[in-house]
Amino acid sequence: MKKIIKIALTLVVAVFASCTDVVDVEVQNGPERLVVEASLDWEKGTTGNIQTIRLRKSTPFFDTNNVTDVTGASVVVTNETSGASYIFADQNNGEYRTTSFQPILGQSYSLRIDYDNEVYTARETMTSVTNITNVFQDREDGFDDEALEVHVVFTDPPEEGDNYLFKFQREGDLLPDLEVAEDEFVNGNEIDWWYEIDDDDDIEPFEPGDVVNIEMYGISRPYYDYIKILIDQLGGVGIFETTPVAVKGNCINQTNPDNYAFGYFRLTEMVKTSYTFVENEQSSN
Amino acid sequence: MNSKEHLSPALKTIVWLLWAYFMGCLFVMGQSSHTISGTITDKSNGETLFGATVFLTGTTIGGVTNEYGFYSITAPEGEYVLNISYMGYTDMNIEVHLNQDLKHDVEISEFSTKLEEVVVTAEEPERAILRKPEMSVLKMNVATIKQTPVVLGEVDVLKSLQLLPGVTNNGEGTGGFHVRGGAQDQNLVLLDEAIIYNTSHMFGFFSVFNADAIKDVKLYKGGIPARFGGRVSSVLDIRQKDGNSKKFALTGGVGVISSRLTAEGPIFGDNGSFLIAGRRSYVDLILAAAGEDNRVSFYDLNLKTNYSINRNNKLFLSGYFGRDAFDFAGIFENSYGNGSGNLRWNHIFNDRLFSNLSAIVSRYDYDLNFDQDDFEWVSSITNYNLKYDLKYYLNDSFSLDFGANGIYYDFDPGQVQPTSPDSPVNPLTLDQKRALETGVYINAEHKLTDRFTAQYGLRYSSFSRLGGQPIMEYANGQPVIYNSELGIYERGEAIGETDFSRREAIETFGNLEPRVSLAYLLNENSSLKMGFSRAAQYIHLLSNTSSVTPLDVWTPSGPFIKPQLSNQYALGYFQNFLDKSYSLEVEAYYKTVNNRIDYIDGSELIGQNTIETEILNGEMRAYGLELLLRKNEGDLTGWIAYTLSKSEQRTPGGMAGGPGINGGNWYNTFFDRTHDISITGSYRWNDQWSFGANLIFQTGRPVTFPNGQYQYEDLSIASYAPRNSDRLPAYHRMDVSATFKPRKYQNKRFKGEWVLSIYNLYHRKNAASISFGQNLETGANEATRTAIFGIVPSLTYNFKF
Repeated sequence: MKKIIKIALTLVVAVFASCTDVVDVEVQNGPERLVVEASLDWEKGTTGNIQTIRLRKSTPFFDTNNVTDVTGASVVVTNETSGASYIFADQNNGEYRTTSFQPILGQSYSLRIDYDNEVYTARETMTSVTNITNVFQDREDGFDDEALEVHVVFTDPPEEGDNYLFKFQREGDLLPDLEVAEDEFVNGNEIDWWYEIDDDDDIEPFEPGDVVNIEMYGISRPYYDYIKILIDQLGGVGIFETTPVAVKGNCINQTNPDNYAFGYFRLTEMVKTSYTFVENEQSSN
Repeated sequence: MNSKEHLSPALKTIVWLLWAYFMGCLFVMGQSSHTISGTITDKSNGETLFGATVFLTGTTIGGVTNEYGFYSITAPEGEYVLNISYMGYTDMNIEVHLNQDLKHDVEISEFSTKLEEVVVTAEEPERAILRKPEMSVLKMNVATIKQTPVVLGEVDVLKSLQLLPGVTNNGEGTGGFHVRGGAQDQNLVLLDEAIIYNTSHMFGFFSVFNADAIKDVKLYKGGIPARFGGRVSSVLDIRQKDGNSKKFALTGGVGVISSRLTAEGPIFGDNGSFLIAGRRSYVDLILAAAGEDNRVSFYDLNLKTNYSINRNNKLFLSGYFGRDAFDFAGIFENSYGNGSGNLRWNHIFNDRLFSNLSAIVSRYDYDLNFDQDDFEWVSSITNYNLKYDLKYYLNDSFSLDFGANGIYYDFDPGQVQPTSPDSPVNPLTLDQKRALETGVYINAEHKLTDRFTAQYGLRYSSFSRLGGQPIMEYANGQPVIYNSELGIYERGEAIGETDFSRREAIETFGNLEPRVSLAYLLNENSSLKMGFSRAAQYIHLLSNTSSVTPLDVWTPSGPFIKPQLSNQYALGYFQNFLDKSYSLEVEAYYKTVNNRIDYIDGSELIGQNTIETEILNGEMRAYGLELLLRKNEGDLTGWIAYTLSKSEQRTPGGMAGGPGINGGNWYNTFFDRTHDISITGSYRWNDQWSFGANLIFQTGRPVTFPNGQYQYEDLSIASYAPRNSDRLPAYHRMDVSATFKPRKYQNKRFKGEWVLSIYNLYHRKNAASISFGQNLETGANEATRTAIFGIVPSLTYNFKF
């Protein structure tokens, strides 16, 4: 609901502010930091044994050099109850991998990275997710009632405090879209979450034949707070949005706290599906 | 924070001292003095004139009319010439034989039609500017406001004020205004004494004040008189016209965005008048014609009527209703608006004691209706205000204002209501809040010598946050805690709540607010003034966005949010030169505000029941130099205004621990503008044509830009620099206007004029914001500028009948 109110505000601005263009702007250069993408996602119905952690470096904002892989680090994840540890092997391309991870819902794990004589640590709990009960298409909802949108239906568990991360990506599109949800106003209800692509200069709305990949993650509250700010700041901030900030994740530099890392150590349960848009509307699958 | 009980002995002593002092003054008064009093009105329409100067020629005895046109001057027995002057009006001289108390109601006329369009902008006739200690005040008359070139031809009080020093905005198309580095919610905006909570239509494109219904506009940037309280930065006092008491009149206009119509005339025989003014936009009709599904509209309705029971008793009733409505293709509807009403009773006890009793109600509310998701979100603030103000004209060198007021507030921060049984949303009501704000004040204007005048006063304000709601309790009393491991602020742990009954106060605050200003006349043409004022503010607008939106919610002080307290020091030099056709005003100020809240990273205010978990307590400071050079007379009139200023904020961790926001360092406020220059001119070419122009230059407003990027979740994530450490490019533009009054109307009752205005003549794309993101096709990062108004020509037709 909050998302809807925010989008509403953005729309209001969009109606008035018709004139946008890309400009050259000078920006400051902040410190280079380690970027930890430690997303241990356990897809329902799989063993979850194979997990990858990516380490990179941050760059100046307008830098187009995307090769920032970090190699030579040591990466270990530990089950905080059993003490079992999983060593993520350096693949020499910025990826660190294990094939023996044992995911347990509700279990807390810790991460330790040794890199460049500094030690980074993080802790997180693996969070479960409910099942998607239906996926269908429609035009009625969404901000444009002529554009196709995909609906993801699921039932929020009765216990309050569930948080969700959605990742939508149309096949052929360069960038995915992330959205978050919480159950604050809708606890225990059946939730119909829709996703639409707004007609824009750069991008077309969904059309019949398009395939959209959908991922839904159960996330912890701290991660929700983190990723929400990150998502809010994607695509820039306008006049009715909050002041953007340098978002801090949960990876702490134990050696030199000021040199904290970007990114997050998250553990989620996840479901994924995909949907192919068809001509005939109101179809269900 | 002081409890009321604690302060009362001190307060009592002070009140007694003041009383003793004033009684002393009373006995100094000469035996053979008499008083002349009365009301000054405009001859053509019977409108009372506020700020007209009444002087006994050849003496320094005189005064200025109050908001209701009333004056009272006292002088030794003798023969005098009573001189009445008001900018834009012909001086009036009346011989008086003062051997007893006299009443003189005087009607004065505007200059002949030929000179009518002369723009007069002096706040008061020059004599008064120099002598009166009143400083840091901007007064604009409606004629000036109407001549200023404006976007889309919509005459706008607030936009015109922004052309004067010390007043800025937060970017084009954003609501409200900022005074001397203060925030938007620190301005007390009064329309006929009723508090207006949101001054904008269409999210800030236009202001809610219909210039046709307004008599005068006065902005106190500092040196706020003791009779005002409740906001720490400024008071904008707008008075509606009373209505023409001589004849029925219609005025109106047809513009690009809206049309206006005002009807006024006498009622109750000779004993009263009325005014009804309406304004409605028709953007919605244009959008409909263009096949757009979205609808945007606003309207205003101003009402005023008065009735003279007898010479000493007069009743006024005024009202304002305004509303904006948006309909986004049936997805959601949004409407918001202010409403207010005020019933006033002017009572003149005797020729020296004037009183006014007002009963005022005002309300602001908004409603978001999500058709598609079947729920509605509503929020409102309502207040009831009773105030009694008296003015006592003791003698020619001493007058006294005193009075009391009480405001009861009802806050409805938000309610969610499902609008159909299958709504996916559960109903929710945020805690309803109530409070009572009271104030008593006394203020003296005291002419100490012929050259030296002082104004000094004291206000005692008190605020009780009333019960009838639970208050959350947090572990260690910390609603926000610093996570020193992660280096971020987090919401505190709620450990329970206390229920307060409707009969008890949750917390009470009291503050003494001294206000002092002094004027020293250096010579006939120049004076020095200085002032100090302290003010308390008990209600706060919650907004974590760089611009305030109509959906932001007001919240009262209480256990977690302390009242804001400001101290302002100002020093000024005022001079008239070249036979008073030019005037120069230079002022410097320094202002501090304690208890200014700011929001932790990632704060969430929408639907937030526990605001305390989202904020930290901090402070503000602002200082600046203002310069205003005006040409007041001739065919070419106008001014050059320059402000050099700084406005900053600091928010340490405090109770929550940690360094605070932005590492506990000072950071620019959103509305800090280093340089702000406005040049405004208006030229009367002949009887038919006159021209106006504005040139504006402002330092770009503070913003936060990225200082790095990284890859995460297949996206490029921007990392941002310290808060408000970057700036938008400088803002500048030029506007021009031409007014044509066809000759055929000149000697007729019906008068019409065409106003052509061109906003942003050289089509500068001033950035309202710059946002950063990835290009959807290439994935490369780019900066996108949003500019709101390019060149905007418009044509308006105004008429008067």
